[in-house]
Amino acid sequence: MASTADKLVADYLKRLNGELRGLSRVRRRELVDEISEHIAEARADLESENEAAIRTLLDRLGEPEEIAAEATERFGVVPRKAGWKEVGALIMLPIGGVLLPVLGWFIGIVLLWISDAWSTRDKLVGTLLFPGGLLLPLALGVMAEGSSGCSTPVGTECPPDSGGTGAWQVALVVMLLLVPLVTTVYLARRLGRTSAATI
Amino acid sequence: MVAQQDALLAQMRRGTLQYCVLSLLADEERYGFDLVRGLAVSDGMVTSEGTIYPLLSRLRRDGLVESTWQESPAGPPRRYYRLTEAGRAALEGFKLEWRRFRDAVDHFVERTD
Repeated sequence: MASTADKLVADYLKRLNGELRGLSRVRRRELVDEISEHIAEARADLESENEAAIRTLLDRLGEPEEIAAEATERFGVVPRKAGWKEVGALIMLPIGGVLLPVLGWFIGIVLLWISDAWSTRDKLVGTLLFPGGLLLPLALGVMAEGSSGCSTPVGTECPPDSGGTGAWQVALVVMLLLVPLVTTVYLARRLGRTSAATI
Repeated sequence: MVAQQDALLAQMRRGTLQYCVLSLLADEERYGFDLVRGLAVSDGMVTSEGTIYPLLSRLRRDGLVESTWQESPAGPPRRYYRLTEAGRAALEGFKLEWRRFRDAVDHFVERTD
């Protein structure tokens, strides 16, 4: 039983934390701490801790959206403009690895994760869809050129006698080029969305 | 009409809630949960308990209340809130205005009785 209750409370606090993303980090932490303290006090007051009692308790607190709306109204809005972390991440993720092999991409990842502007889901997308950014496709592109001996520009076909591998590799490289670029655009748009949602 | 009245009540509650909080802190310091339950006792003052916390945080930032950590008899330490001088002055100012306003409104609405 205790685990169901703990899970309900943890879910609630997680949702609250997410909803409060528009506030400054300090303010958000303070509110989440206070409300988790409130929940702990209220739980200690319960005669018996069953799921219904926990749900009632959380209902009395109100929806996280409601608390967040109140907080936004009381504090006004912290304008979430793209700071150096966000700009840095958007530059280093795609081309950092090319400018400064491997390490540049890692710098982008660090900036992505220390920024407040993206949700954890966005950060995972940014990390997993990009291993190495544009470094990998460029390296593969060079290899493909070398191995197939086909120097036609991307998009045109190699002579049939060079085998299917050349075309196949070109397609792979194009896809690998597109994925980091699309992901960068996605992250940039999520940044725009966050500011639109909080204003 | 009912919806309109609900909206009006919400507005009135919203405008006066912070002074209710200051009033609860006038004589004694309280911790968050205690304060929230104190407000919840008065029917209709608070619909969602959690919304008190952004208000408390705002009052603290405005210097109307201050908080200290104190050991609790059971469990982790609690953050206790108390009025500052500025908070007390704001509360006194509100009381004067509130009485004047209440009397003015009463003057009209009570005529019909």
